[in-house]
Amino acid sequence: MTPINISLLVFMIGLYGVMSKNNLIKKIMGLTIMNGGIVLFFISIGYREAGLAPILEKGTIDGTTTIVVDPLPQALMLTAIVIGISVTALALALIVKIYSKYKTLDIQQLSKER
Amino acid sequence: MGSSKIIKTIAQKLFPFIVLFGFYLISHGHLSPGGGFQGGVVLGTAIILLALSHSIEQTEKKFRSRWLNMLEKLGILTLIFLGFLGILLGYSFLSNFLPLGKPGQIASGGLMLLFNIAIGIKVAAGVSVIFYALVRYRGEI
Amino acid sequence: MSKEMKKAFFIIIILVMAILFILSVDIEYGNPKNLDVANYYIDQGLHDTGATNLVAAIYLGYRAYDTLIETIVLFVAVTGVVFCLRGKR
Repeated sequence: MTPINISLLVFMIGLYGVMSKNNLIKKIMGLTIMNGGIVLFFISIGYREAGLAPILEKGTIDGTTTIVVDPLPQALMLTAIVIGISVTALALALIVKIYSKYKTLDIQQLSKER
Repeated sequence: MGSSKIIKTIAQKLFPFIVLFGFYLISHGHLSPGGGFQGGVVLGTAIILLALSHSIEQTEKKFRSRWLNMLEKLGILTLIFLGFLGILLGYSFLSNFLPLGKPGQIASGGLMLLFNIAIGIKVAAGVSVIFYALVRYRGEI
Repeated sequence: MSKEMKKAFFIIIILVMAILFILSVDIEYGNPKNLDVANYYIDQGLHDTGATNLVAAIYLGYRAYDTLIETIVLFVAVTGVVFCLRGKR
């Protein structure tokens, strides 16, 4: 049971939430959980055994004695976290507008009203 | 909207330290853990803490949302302007034209410090603008 | 949504989860195979960009376009939130 397996489980839990819940806010919660699973997956792919954080210090600059973790997935996930935050904020604002117009958040009733 | 005196006092005393920590994260982003996005979110959290412990109107007298909007646009325009400054000086877009300096000092890394400051100001203003917009909405269509 | 559809969704999710789990057992954790790119960044990152934080060296030095477009995305999201929730004038 490595973090790679756990991240796939977390992703599938979020996907189940997006697919099966009727409330719009619960769907957004599912999207956030999927984002967390993706971040955990990429970070755990770049991990090396007994690796330190990718920050060069005095010992590492002259002769590389310590193992350093792959820095590329971490930089990509920094982007993914910010995009996830902006998607969540925009979706919540749209949900507030939808509720103030239709007085419901249920997706079945919303698809009946046109 | 009245919280107790303990919460108000502690939030007020804690505010400068949170702001200091945010500026530390922004300005040391190329040397230690941190960076523009993280420090910007910490700065935005300071404003949100002040607005939640005191009233929103009182906080908005100090940090007006019009100025925060302007700061956000200023941050992104600074980022694009720094990118085009490289073209004017004969390099490519967004490339580094300052000397690299000694590694480990705060003046190293060339343009990275300016990028981090612009991104940090932009993210702090953006987070607090989102908070203001979501809190002040009163249900008019 | 009816109860049967919800149950069918649950079964499909459990099946896909099991398939993904079986496929992902073989992925080695803590010992990535292809380390050429990572070794290049670790060796040359300080010399190329002058930053000791290698993550900052990547997202502000090598891939600054990425950061610029990401910032624009955040700006557009903030603009959308303010547009959706503006008060009545």
